[in-house]
Amino acid sequence: MEWFNSHILSILTFFPLLVSAAIFLVPGENFARTAALGGSILTFLFSLHVWHYFDPASAKLQFVESYIWMQEFGVRAIFGIDGISLLLVMLTTALMPLVLLSLWNSHYKHLRQYIGLIMALQTGMIGALVAVDLVFFYVFWEAMLIPMYFIIGIWGGARRIYATTKFILYTVVGSLLMLAAAIALYLNYYRQTGIYSTSLLDLYSVSLDPRTQMWMFAAFALAFAIKVPMWPFHTWLPDAHVEAPTAGSVILAGVLLKMGTYGFLRFAIPLFPLALQTFAPVLIFLGIVGIIYGALTAWVQKDAKKLVAYSSVSHLGFVVIGSVAILADGTLSSEGLTGALYQMINHGVSTGALFLLVGVIYERRHTRMLADFGGLASVMPWFAVMLIVATLGSVGLPGTGGFVGEFLILLGTFQASPLAGVLAATGVLLGAIYMLTLCRQILFGPVKHEENKSLKDLTPIEFAYLAPLAILVIVMGIFPDFFLNKTRASIDHLARNYKSYSLGVEGH
Amino acid sequence: MFSFPVFDSAFYLVAAPVLILVAGSLVALMQSVFKPISGQGAVELVTTGSIAAALLAGLAMPGSLQDFVAGALLSGALSRFGVILILAVALVVCLMMREHHIAKAFFRGEVASIFLMLLSGMLVMVASDDVVTLFVGLELASIGLYVVLGYIQPNRRSQEGAIKYFILGSVGAAILLFGFALLYAACGTLRLSEMVAALPAVANHGWAQLGGMLVLAGIGFKMALVPFHMWAPDAYESAPTGITAFMATTVKVMVLVVALRMFTAAAVSMDDVWQPGFIVLAALSMIVGNVMALVQTNLKRMLAYSSIAHSGYMAVAIVALSAAGATLPVRAILFYLLTYVIVSLGAFGVLMALETAENDQLTVDDLSGLSKKSPWVALALTVFMFSFGGMPPTAGFIGKFFVFNAALNNHLYGLVVVGVIGSSISLFYYLRLVVRMYMGESAGAPFGAIRPVSRIFSVNSGVMAFAVIATILLGTVLPGVAMERLNRAATEVARK
Repeated sequence: MEWFNSHILSILTFFPLLVSAAIFLVPGENFARTAALGGSILTFLFSLHVWHYFDPASAKLQFVESYIWMQEFGVRAIFGIDGISLLLVMLTTALMPLVLLSLWNSHYKHLRQYIGLIMALQTGMIGALVAVDLVFFYVFWEAMLIPMYFIIGIWGGARRIYATTKFILYTVVGSLLMLAAAIALYLNYYRQTGIYSTSLLDLYSVSLDPRTQMWMFAAFALAFAIKVPMWPFHTWLPDAHVEAPTAGSVILAGVLLKMGTYGFLRFAIPLFPLALQTFAPVLIFLGIVGIIYGALTAWVQKDAKKLVAYSSVSHLGFVVIGSVAILADGTLSSEGLTGALYQMINHGVSTGALFLLVGVIYERRHTRMLADFGGLASVMPWFAVMLIVATLGSVGLPGTGGFVGEFLILLGTFQASPLAGVLAATGVLLGAIYMLTLCRQILFGPVKHEENKSLKDLTPIEFAYLAPLAILVIVMGIFPDFFLNKTRASIDHLARNYKSYSLGVEGH
Repeated sequence: MFSFPVFDSAFYLVAAPVLILVAGSLVALMQSVFKPISGQGAVELVTTGSIAAALLAGLAMPGSLQDFVAGALLSGALSRFGVILILAVALVVCLMMREHHIAKAFFRGEVASIFLMLLSGMLVMVASDDVVTLFVGLELASIGLYVVLGYIQPNRRSQEGAIKYFILGSVGAAILLFGFALLYAACGTLRLSEMVAALPAVANHGWAQLGGMLVLAGIGFKMALVPFHMWAPDAYESAPTGITAFMATTVKVMVLVVALRMFTAAAVSMDDVWQPGFIVLAALSMIVGNVMALVQTNLKRMLAYSSIAHSGYMAVAIVALSAAGATLPVRAILFYLLTYVIVSLGAFGVLMALETAENDQLTVDDLSGLSKKSPWVALALTVFMFSFGGMPPTAGFIGKFFVFNAALNNHLYGLVVVGVIGSSISLFYYLRLVVRMYMGESAGAPFGAIRPVSRIFSVNSGVMAFAVIATILLGTVLPGVAMERLNRAATEVARK
């Protein structure tokens, strides 16, 4: 037990990779399906273990493991988890079994390789969330791209190659600049202390002049803004989403996009607080443009998947402005930060569910055009229930997780800048319009098309992977404290002390 | 009365690889004359045997810095690094050649003789402190390459490539020689180490500066840095693929070893000449190399331009050499070089495995659907492309990390930004191959124009497997260890 507790994060990170290797080596689709589902459930149980033993009162890093990688250059493999990464890790591990369940009866070509790549992707995502060393983080951050590149490129739609190339090039351009800035930061730390270290725990203490901070913040923020994606770097997202297979879309929207917003919270803000003062208005402006632009664009989409993709641009705009709301006393709004984190989780759950639901009707009708549906509520009642719950979660109806997140974000934004708050609030309104349009066009009205009359309602397996998400949407709206208790200490610490941020290590 | 010079045993220990190769070369020459021993098998035995023996002798070379025959021969960690790497590549290439469709043409007495002789020239070049000897080694290697390139396959394309390579290569060599001559005139010594030590006193002298510039251009020619790169695409394309693999790797090794001896130890005052020069060459190479590679369809040509870009990255680290006592730039270059050699051998190995006598100029389209035809080969080529593109978790990423590290340490922000842009461009064409292999449809007949890779063990697949494993290991668990190992060679040449 002692050993297990002190190695839990590396087990959590690399276990999916082991499963992936096994899937690639053992022929047979049945083995692949079973191993992946079993492996991802086991990973979820590991993460529950972390959740259970995580000390909510502490803002320090917990379950820390540190291994030497390149001693001479101070590059180490450090794992650690705090209240911010904990929720995102839980989101990742909880989504994966559902995603794999959605592939249970699917008939993709080369299903074994597909599932193997998804498991490898999970290692990349968890690794990026628990890595506390810049180089180590960067390795996971980039390695995450490779499986996604293949998932979209091999199993995607007609324009998959264009979409996947655009996706990887956009992301890599941003990341390479981030790498250069990270190295410059590391060299600055060396000049100040005479010690080489790429550990975040050390790098938080670097003092940089404002000009240098600006450059480095810009490089980091660009990488994260592309990943989020913030307007005007969002154009890869609709392409990637439309072409990606369902499971790829769910992971992309559910987890991968959060890596960008997580990057702001973990790296850009605490490492370069002075630059944040200058860049916060820019980020808020871009965030608000993203909210409104994303919403308006979503409104006019005819393709359900594209609509959900643009809604992501809008929703993640909220997350960004919540993360950078600076109050009059110079601290970050802790409501804004809490809301941002909560909205990340909520977006993962509700948008994940929406993509899965679009996948359900696409599998039956091989079309995603809104005009091809209508009146499905009478034909597929359970599907209608799920879609309505996911939609309400997405628009932020009180009683769903989306409400808690958006409310806290708007609260924080109002405190920082009433104007920004008002503008962002229009996004909530627009969100209700386009999401309910989606609902209305698919579910209500008469059944216009003959082939829709005989559609089958959710199968037990579809029900099994959609129901947990629908329940989670409600539970997150009614018991937010259950989730937020674990993060409060870390969020407050970041909000109050981001200008002289440091992360202690639990038990040291 | 002729008397054979007597040396102590240390000399023979250092000279052994060269002597073995020369002996092998003479035996192979005999084989081309005497019918009974001129069979392909016998030539194979002599060629691979003498390279393997030379490699063993190279492994036994002392790592301590010591010179012989007035500096004509220099032992030490850097010499050892170069000798072992070149011989290992040569051995691997020879073994892969045996399975290649040009095996019969390559393993002829006269070709093998020239090959072994040019190899000895390369060894002389990396293990010499005397510019005249060094130049003789360079010429031996270059002239041998011109001949091998045009002689193995006597067709028009091959000969055209050889002639182009010969003319441009000779110009490059002449420029380098003239540069050495001017530096000799300025410094009064032919010993490389004494020359760089004497440079500070004469650095402001016009002859020294002109000499420095010419040496820079000469090295640029041999490293295929833009704008001295013209020979590379034609030579790479026209040579039999095995020779391309050999040339793309070993020529870089030998030139970089000399460049390290020259530029690392050089005086600060010469930086005025060399630093701006290398900044321009590096930036141009990264941009032009990557952009030109973008529009190539012939795979060997594409790899040629990509190798120009990689020379550019190594040149970035050369610019960073100037910091006193810093071993990081040297090690960054050596690490990058090591990865480049491994990955190139793997990538050319894939080409050698796929091409046939009828189709020995593979294009991007020939790779369509390779993942279905030969999944393991496709996987290997994918790993190589990701490594060339600098994606983790491969060695290519660690190499770029160290190069950027060295450059930023010297405040070369502009060059790093150019490098970043170049890397982003490069990813586009490296990934295009991956797209073709995995996302393209299988073209034409069941076996298409490319050779189906047999399932039985072959040297070729062994090389690919080794390169894949090495690429991943150097990118994940081994970089720290590798950099420690390179420290000795780096301290040897680091600026005092």
